[in-house]
Formats: sequence, C-alpha cells, structure tokens
Amino acid sequence: MSEINVSQKNNLSGRIASFRAMERADKRRTIIDTLFNNAMYIIIFIAIIFITIREPGFLSLNSIVNIISLTAAKLPIALGIGGAIVLTGTDISAGRCVGLTACIAASLLQMANYPNKMFPDLDVMPLWLVLLLVIAVGAAVGFVNGFFVAKFKLHPFIVTLSTQLIVYGMVLLYLMNGTNNGQTLSGLDSSYTDFVRGPLFTIGNVSVPKFVLYAIILTVIMWFIWNKTKFGKNMFAVGSNEEAANVSGVNVFWTIVLVFVLAGIMYGITGFFEGARISSCSSNTGLNYESDAIAACVIGGVSFVGGTGKISGIVIGVLLLQIIFVGLNFLSVDQNMLYIIKGLIILVACAIDMRKYLARK
Amino acid sequence: MKKLAAIILSIVLICSLAACGGGDSAGEISVFYYTFSDPYISTVRAAMDAILDESGRNYNNYDANGNQTTQTEQVQTALAKNSSLLIVNVVDTGSNDAAQNIVDLAKEKNVPVIFFNRSVDESVVKSYDKCAFVGTDYEMAGHMQGEMIGEFLVANYDQYDLNKDGKISYVMFKGQEGNQEAIARTQYAVEDCNTILKEAGKPELSFYDSANSNRYLVDQAGQWSAAAATDYMSTILAQYSSANNNMVELVIANNDDMALGAISALQTAGYNNGEGTTIIPVFGVDATTAAQDKIKEGNMAGTIKQDADGMASSITTIAFNYLDEKDTFDGIESDNIVGDWRVNIPYSTYTGN
Repeated sequence: MSEINVSQKNNLSGRIASFRAMERADKRRTIIDTLFNNAMYIIIFIAIIFITIREPGFLSLNSIVNIISLTAAKLPIALGIGGAIVLTGTDISAGRCVGLTACIAASLLQMANYPNKMFPDLDVMPLWLVLLLVIAVGAAVGFVNGFFVAKFKLHPFIVTLSTQLIVYGMVLLYLMNGTNNGQTLSGLDSSYTDFVRGPLFTIGNVSVPKFVLYAIILTVIMWFIWNKTKFGKNMFAVGSNEEAANVSGVNVFWTIVLVFVLAGIMYGITGFFEGARISSCSSNTGLNYESDAIAACVIGGVSFVGGTGKISGIVIGVLLLQIIFVGLNFLSVDQNMLYIIKGLIILVACAIDMRKYLARK
Repeated sequence: MKKLAAIILSIVLICSLAACGGGDSAGEISVFYYTFSDPYISTVRAAMDAILDESGRNYNNYDANGNQTTQTEQVQTALAKNSSLLIVNVVDTGSNDAAQNIVDLAKEKNVPVIFFNRSVDESVVKSYDKCAFVGTDYEMAGHMQGEMIGEFLVANYDQYDLNKDGKISYVMFKGQEGNQEAIARTQYAVEDCNTILKEAGKPELSFYDSANSNRYLVDQAGQWSAAAATDYMSTILAQYSSANNNMVELVIANNDDMALGAISALQTAGYNNGEGTTIIPVFGVDATTAAQDKIKEGNMAGTIKQDADGMASSITTIAFNYLDEKDTFDGIESDNIVGDWRVNIPYSTYTGN
C-alpha cells in the first residue's frame, strides 16, 4: 500500500517537474489538454456548485440519496449497452427488452390474492426463479442480436431495430394475455417490492433502497469482466480492429455474440428492478430507455469509434444525466430546456472524445 | 441457391400475411387505434374485439403507434381494399386537419366513419352525413376529478394539511404537452377543486414549488408514463418531506399510471404504505384495475372511471346501424346523444365505496 503511494507521489512530482521544464507554449497546451480530457468532471463540478448556490437543498442528504438511487436505476442498462458501443455498434432494442422483462417479472410476481392477476391460478413464484427467467429472456434477445450481427455482418443498428419492433410486439401480445386486456400490471407481491426498493439501510431518516446495492454489485462485476477477463480484452480487440483481432486468434463471432448476450442479461436485470421500482408495468415501460443509456455511455467516453471505454466513464455519464435532471427540477427550470441541455452535453462530450481520438492518430 | 432461398422466404411471408388477413378482406370493418400501448384504449379494444367476433363480421385492427402519418396511410390502404366502414381513434387532436382528411378520403368512397375517444371537432363530423363521434366530454374528467378532490379535502381538511399552515400544497403530473385532454384535466382539476375549497372558506391549493410558473410537471416523452411520475416524485421527496415540515400534501395525476408511479416513489420514501404510515392523497383518471386495487388498499384516494365496455358497445351499435342501413343512433341511450352528431359516454367517480 505505502509503496504504491510513494510511486504515485514520485509520479506526480515527476510530472510537475517535467511540466516546469516545459516551454511556455507546451505548458499552455498541456493545461488545455488536461482541461479538455477531464471536461466532464469539470462540467459536473461546476453544475453541482451552481445548483447548490441557487438551491442549497441540492446537496442535502436526501437529495444525494435520490440522485444516487436514480443513477442506480439507470445504470445496469447503460452497462449493457456500453459493450455494444465498444464494438462500434449500438443496441436500440434495449428499452423494449427492459419493458418485456419488466412485464414478465411483474406478471409472475403479483400478489396471490390480487383480484386482477394475469395468471389467476399461479402462486407467487420464487424471486430467484423469476430473476433467472427474465435474465434468460434478456439473454435470448441478446443472442439473436449478437448472432445476426456476427454471422451476417449486419450493422447492429439494423439488427436491433428489428428486434426492438419484434420485442415490442411481444410486449403487446403478452399484455393481452388472459383477462388482462392490455391493462397495466400492478398489485406486486411485497416480497418482490421489498427485495428491490425496500430500505437497504437508513441514515438520518433517509432510507437507501436496495437496488442501489445491486447496481454497485453489477458495476463491479462488469468492471471485472471488462478489465480482468480474456473475454473483456477480446471485446476491446474486436472493437478497435476486427480484422486484426481475427488474425491474432480472437474468436470474433463468439465475442460479438457474448457482448450482446451480456447486454441482454443487463436489460433483463434492469427490467426486473424497474418492474418493482415503478410498480406498474405497461407497454410503455422501458420506452426510449436506450437513448438515455447510449447518451450516458458517450458522455462517459465510450466511443463509437470502437475499442475504447471505461466502466467508470459509464457511471459518470449516467450520474451526470441524473444530476442535470434533478438539478433542473430543483431550479424549476422550464422543462423544455432539459432537451436542449442534454443535446448540447452529448454533442460537446462526443466532440471532446473525437478530439482525443484525432490527437492520438 | 440464394435465389431459391429468397423465393421460399417470400412465399412463406406472403402465406403468413394471407393467414393474418383472414382470407377475404373485402368489406371489412377497419378499426384504427392511435396506439396499442394505451391501457385504457386496450380495454376498449378487447371489448370491441369481443363484440365484433361474436357478430361474425369481418374486421381488422390497425395500430398507428402514435403517428398520424402512419394512421392516414393505413386509412388509405384500408379504403383501397374496399373497407366497408372506418372506426377511427384519431392520433392528432391538436388540429382538425388530420380528422378532416380522413373524412374526405372516406366521403370519396362513400364509406361511413365513426370517430371515438380522442376528440374530433363538430365541424369535421358534420361535414359528412355518414360520420359520428363516440367519446367522452373530455373536459368532464378534469371537472369531476376537481370536484372529487375538493369534496375529499373539505371533509377532513385538517387531517390533510400536514404542516398546519392552513394551505394544501400539491403537485400535478401532466401526461403530455399539447394534448386537449391533458390540458383540460390539468386545468380543471385544480380550478374546480379551488371553487369548492373557496365555498367552504378554505384557501386555494398552492403548488408545492412556487418558482414553477407552469404549475405542473409533464412527462417529457408525452407517454403519460408511470416511470416519469416516479422519477419526479422521488426528486420532489428529496426536497420536501414531513421531517422538513414542507411535505407535498396532495398528488393529482392526469391518469392512473402516473398516479401509480407517484405512489411507488411515495412508498419507497415510507409514505402511503397502509395503516401506520402517512397517506398522501393521490388522484388519477381512468379507474384501471391496478388503480382500483390501490384505492381499495387505502393507498390511493380516488379516480375517474371511463366506461370502456359502454364505449365499445356504443361504437359497434352505430357501426352495425350504418352497415344495416338503420338510423345512426338506433339503440343508443338517448340521454347520451348530444346534438345529432355525437354520443357521450358518461364518466363516474371511483373512490372504492
């Protein structure tokens, strides 16, 4: 531990020393580069300070917990989509996939005595079984996406556009099941809602919902997969240069399929959480979730150029979007401004990202 | 080989299309829905499908998926294949053009048109003698919601005024910008409630956030969705709570989905969770089964019921009248007929009693 600290210090002081030794022009360029490379952190920091000055309540415990839990709710889907973007692809079936899995989870976990059950004769199923089932459904959609992308070299946009429509059709059909007639699914069993949004712990009267913990666990798992496994390294290799990866012995087909399957698993889990978090699932559930998730990824530096991206970046991206959403609400800003601000941030983030990429070239 | 595969694939596609079409499509009753994803409209659809199935007549449902262009093209296609009658849940209610366009198309082919649910102007309906409208007086839902809230608050005013400042602070969740029904509900729910409060000598409702000049929070995606209400409500609860003595004391939503979304956030924060917890009155519109259940549990205060079965049976009655060349409104309850062009399906309040 101390050794690392020493080496870090040396590194820092070495950097400062080399910075001092630079010419003026170089110094200025270094400063500008550093500012640009950390632009997202700087923007978040400025935004927080600005909002807090106007509305001190923004940094109250209550509000911080709210921002964290909103971030946690939107994180898993972004973690899933991130992989597809690393492969220079995208996945626009994500939102509908969340919708389908949320509806499946909700329908199987309605209270036993609830009068409007989709499956009246069904007891409340065990949570783990339903979770596995929705993960399997998500994985199946992911497999279809990955298979068509890898096998037929179709652009992921086209493939996932198709599956988006197919999955939406399945949601609509599923909701017409039994006597449900397309109604919103509700009346969830308390074992389910407690498992997802029950309090994890309480600090100063503010309870932190359990899904925050699950989101952290998923983030750690995804970090491990991306950084510490052969599959993760293959994913980046395929993303930066498919041909080169193929030549150097990476199984490109299975890498692509597995990235999409992993994404599908994340959507399944998101659906499972979203079902209980919102507590009423309709065919609208999950609509357009992918656009926020993709936005979060690119804001966080997962580049459409392929082969670059970090889990920490995705977390920052999701967090920034939630800070904007909550912050503008605190400031009572006209809600139409939200679109404009979001759009500008995505544009700026991508421009900065490409600047790094072009500089490297 | 590839060509053969392509030919086989197209044959399969054509066959499956034919199977979906149910053979002879000439003379079908064409039913156009603005979106299949609306829970209330889905209930109407299920009821109407049942009646049409039973009648043995040939019909076909179309989903515009919230897009007027799609719907207009669907109407054109249906007319091109000799549809005998159009039942239209028009997408665009902001102007008369979309509905007028459909009427003109139908008139050319002398095919009757029945609009339903989403409002269409009198001038449009009256421009064609084989046209009628079945709907609700869309402003009524807002008026009735407002009255229900007013009476509810006046009955136990002090109980709901949590911080005892004499005023009830509220939040309003609007489903969509630019939608007539959403606008009317947002406006009248508050106005009518205030009228009743004033009569009882109480001050008007006050929006929880005085800096918000709109005095509502809207679903940015225009989907009237539960998720939007949950996200807003949890953000509100981060700033306003019983502990801070500034809790939002009333939640009004344009529809039940948004009401349920708000309740989910309230429950996460420890409110509206049955006996022993602080219950914030939440009001919606639609009386979906999910909302009725929440009301029976006591975690939601009330909703306005739209009669889906009544709407479906009125539409099909008029449709069969047109096809069998009877009087347009033959067999419709005369109280519900307005003028000679529309049928209003009455709303009712639902508070679980």
